[in-house]
Amino acid sequence: MTTESQFETVDMMLNMGPQHPATHGVFRMVLKVDGEKVIDVIPHIGYLHRGTERLAEVETYGQVITLFDRVDYIANLNNELAFVRAGEQIMEVEAPERAQYIRVILAELNRVASHLLFIGTYAIDLGAMTPVMYGFRERERIQNLFEHVTGARMMHNYMRIGGVKADVPDDFVPWVRQLIGEVRKGVEECDKLLSTNEVFLGRTRGVGVIDGPTAISCGLTGPSLRGSGVAYDVRKDDPYEIYPYLNYKVPVGENGDCWDRYYLRMLECYESLSMIEQCLDQFPEGPIMAAGRRIARPPAGEVFSHSENPRGDLGVYLVSDGTDKPYRVKIRPPSFCNLVGLATMTRGSYIADAVAILGSLDIVLGEVDR
Amino acid sequence: MNVTLSDTITLSVQLFALFNVAALAAVSLVWLERRFLGRLQGRPGPNRVGPLGLLQPIADAIKLMSKEDVAPGSSQRLLFYAAPILVFVPAFVVWLTFPLARDVVVRNMDMGLFFFVAISVLSIVGLVLAGWSSNSKYAILGGFRAAAQLVSYEIPIITMILIIGMLSDSLDFVKVVDAQATIPFIAVVPLAFVIFLIAGLAEVGRTPFDIYFAESEVVGGPFVEYSGAHWAIFFLAEYVNTFVIGILGALLFLGGWRWPFGADLPQVASVALLMGKAYFIVLIIFWIRGTYPRMRIDQLMAMAWKWLIPLSFVLFLAAAFQLKFEWPWWVLTILSLVILVVPVIVQSRKQRNPALELAARYAANAIVVQAKPRPAPAVEDAPVVTPAAEGTSV
Amino acid sequence: MTEQDPKAAAEAPKEAAAPAEKPARHGPPIVIAEEVLNERGEQTAAQLASTLGTLVLDSAGREDNPWVRVDAKELHAAAKKCRDGEIGMDMLNLMLAVDWVDRIQMIYVLYSTTNNRKVILKADLPAESPAIDSLTDLWEAATWYERETHDLFGVDFPGNSDMSPLLLYEGFEGHPGLKSYPLNDYEEW
Repeated sequence: MTTESQFETVDMMLNMGPQHPATHGVFRMVLKVDGEKVIDVIPHIGYLHRGTERLAEVETYGQVITLFDRVDYIANLNNELAFVRAGEQIMEVEAPERAQYIRVILAELNRVASHLLFIGTYAIDLGAMTPVMYGFRERERIQNLFEHVTGARMMHNYMRIGGVKADVPDDFVPWVRQLIGEVRKGVEECDKLLSTNEVFLGRTRGVGVIDGPTAISCGLTGPSLRGSGVAYDVRKDDPYEIYPYLNYKVPVGENGDCWDRYYLRMLECYESLSMIEQCLDQFPEGPIMAAGRRIARPPAGEVFSHSENPRGDLGVYLVSDGTDKPYRVKIRPPSFCNLVGLATMTRGSYIADAVAILGSLDIVLGEVDR
Repeated sequence: MNVTLSDTITLSVQLFALFNVAALAAVSLVWLERRFLGRLQGRPGPNRVGPLGLLQPIADAIKLMSKEDVAPGSSQRLLFYAAPILVFVPAFVVWLTFPLARDVVVRNMDMGLFFFVAISVLSIVGLVLAGWSSNSKYAILGGFRAAAQLVSYEIPIITMILIIGMLSDSLDFVKVVDAQATIPFIAVVPLAFVIFLIAGLAEVGRTPFDIYFAESEVVGGPFVEYSGAHWAIFFLAEYVNTFVIGILGALLFLGGWRWPFGADLPQVASVALLMGKAYFIVLIIFWIRGTYPRMRIDQLMAMAWKWLIPLSFVLFLAAAFQLKFEWPWWVLTILSLVILVVPVIVQSRKQRNPALELAARYAANAIVVQAKPRPAPAVEDAPVVTPAAEGTSV
Repeated sequence: MTEQDPKAAAEAPKEAAAPAEKPARHGPPIVIAEEVLNERGEQTAAQLASTLGTLVLDSAGREDNPWVRVDAKELHAAAKKCRDGEIGMDMLNLMLAVDWVDRIQMIYVLYSTTNNRKVILKADLPAESPAIDSLTDLWEAATWYERETHDLFGVDFPGNSDMSPLLLYEGFEGHPGLKSYPLNDYEEW
């Protein structure tokens, strides 16, 4: 009788990416596999490194906003908001209330759009092809609104330090109200189709488990951290803009598996939509830009501000030397930090799980590599 | 055995016709799938080439044929080029024995069901060879997955065919259809149809069992290194196989060309009836594709060995008892429905109900953040910067 | 320097010069922001001061982000105290290097998920062959941040076992995060 131990088996190194359909861009991971089992994962990033942070040092504060559009290109407005807030702190200005409401409405809409994209692409990763169509259909509606308001579908360059570029069009409020109804229906459709689908549950429940302390140590944030039962949401814990004036819920998971991370995003979609409704109810009239023209030359100093991006805690550390250009801009990219936990989650699972886990982290390579 | 010239010519014409019917069926399936999935997903699907996009598959085929046929330098050429043929030939040869209506058949065999089983398993060899000869890690992973998956699912599908053979007392397709003149076998053994459909999906690698060429995992599996015409052959074989499942289901379970009319219809109508049933099953397959994600290989194997194979053996025994003691046919129906309910209940207890509970709990236990009252707006009028003036200030 | 915005470029004196030496030809003179902590920041700062004790070289802060500067050699000890002490900074939220030309400043933003406090640790490194103890044994998040900082600023992290390039490709020469690295005239890869 020969047994398995008598054969010499060699672990296979399986290169996944940067041109693999499931790596969401140009992420590359080298899997060390034994048959279908993954023994180890070595992630490689940097294929999309554009030197955004260094580039920001030679742009004026206003120009840096356009760079932030391109950092996380799925949630542009959330990124603009993050930088603009840091800029406002360092310039010691505050945006008028109406501008803050506009920003929050747009940022929350962008969060929904980003989550819809996640739901669709995650389903594609797991082999279901319908949710992506539903997700994109709704995302398209949201982008139509963005185009109407900001003039661009993706790279908006709409927010300004001290306000927003232009006031919203007259039909903004009714348009958004109608949009919320439509999008909510679309989200529900995805929810019904996917969330408790037997096969989907089999693929995601108990897969890629990471416990709370490990997740914190790895620096996971956003739904990926909340899935592990840590209720950390910047909107709740370090409120900014007009979030304190809104009623909302922060869903928190228990198991830290892929399904939790997925389902929390689904719940967040509903929450964001209800937040936008509240914003519309409170929507004030007034100016949209802070007073003063010379806001381009901040005092020397440094600030750290962070905000809740769809993927997690997006921090911006700004160092100013008193000129009209930032001395140093450091972005805390949530996807980058979430990826640190990938190896921990993936070890010991199957190849198919590696795809499911990577998908559940919802990375955007523009943000990982900057 | 004397083979005359006219026999040879007849056979050649029949084979040519058969090939074209099968290829046309496959091409029609490509169109149907894309249009049908488009409808499911709220989009039009291909609608530019020809009326209703009917010529889209032709355009695709021309594109594929005119593409460069690349083989990796380190591949084993002979096997690499033989593999598509090994997949393609069995897919077509099984059609020899399918009667599309009474006497509309190339060769009706007494052992038609056996012939189908014997031939259809051959395509595994082609898939494994394709994976092996490509000299690619994804391809070999896909090839091994294909071997494991297809071999496992042969067992339930063969058992189901055996049950049909027992119930109709014959392995001849025509007699199987004749046995269903009044009651189709789907009414007699609904469980057998379910198992047949699931195992059939796995056999042809349709969602949720498209594991061996999973796009997002092994990037096409055994087909990853193929391009152009050779890839087209795999593609065609896949759709032909899908249609084979449809035809087989119609013949074995839905009463072929006889039920629900009892007597034979005119030949054209018979063929249309059978095709209609076959397309109905194919649409179910597409519907499943539009709904379900892909399973994982270990779940797939567990499903075969822990559920389908035991269930099919139980059903086999039940059918044997029914025949032995000559119970009325509906006893088997009730038995098989009871057996069908068991896995559904067990599975939903195990997976779906806890998830529903969890979902409800997450929604209910979310941390509530209460709004603070909004401060009254500042009275002093801040100087308003108009958007136009602001445009240049930053 | 950028070529895209000649007006701004003319207005702004060359970066990297110390703020005080800036000629005030255009625009108002450079103001240095007053660092004021709010109430929450004051509490955190007090707690931080008691946690770190004598390790603190100087400290200040803005809003609710108090910072302390510690000696580079003692940063690891300070970070460990922050993590394990009562202040409970369990997350390494952000880590960055700032190139002040004459020195490189490492900045660590720590966050506590239990009581939602932020503190910032700073440590100055020499511009020549900067090195600081790795924090990988305290936070796994430090692994990638340190590799990134090593790529872009050339800071060494004794204690981090894997220092292969993360954002840059193998064999890239120079450290593009540094102010001395040219923004144009680089080799296309």
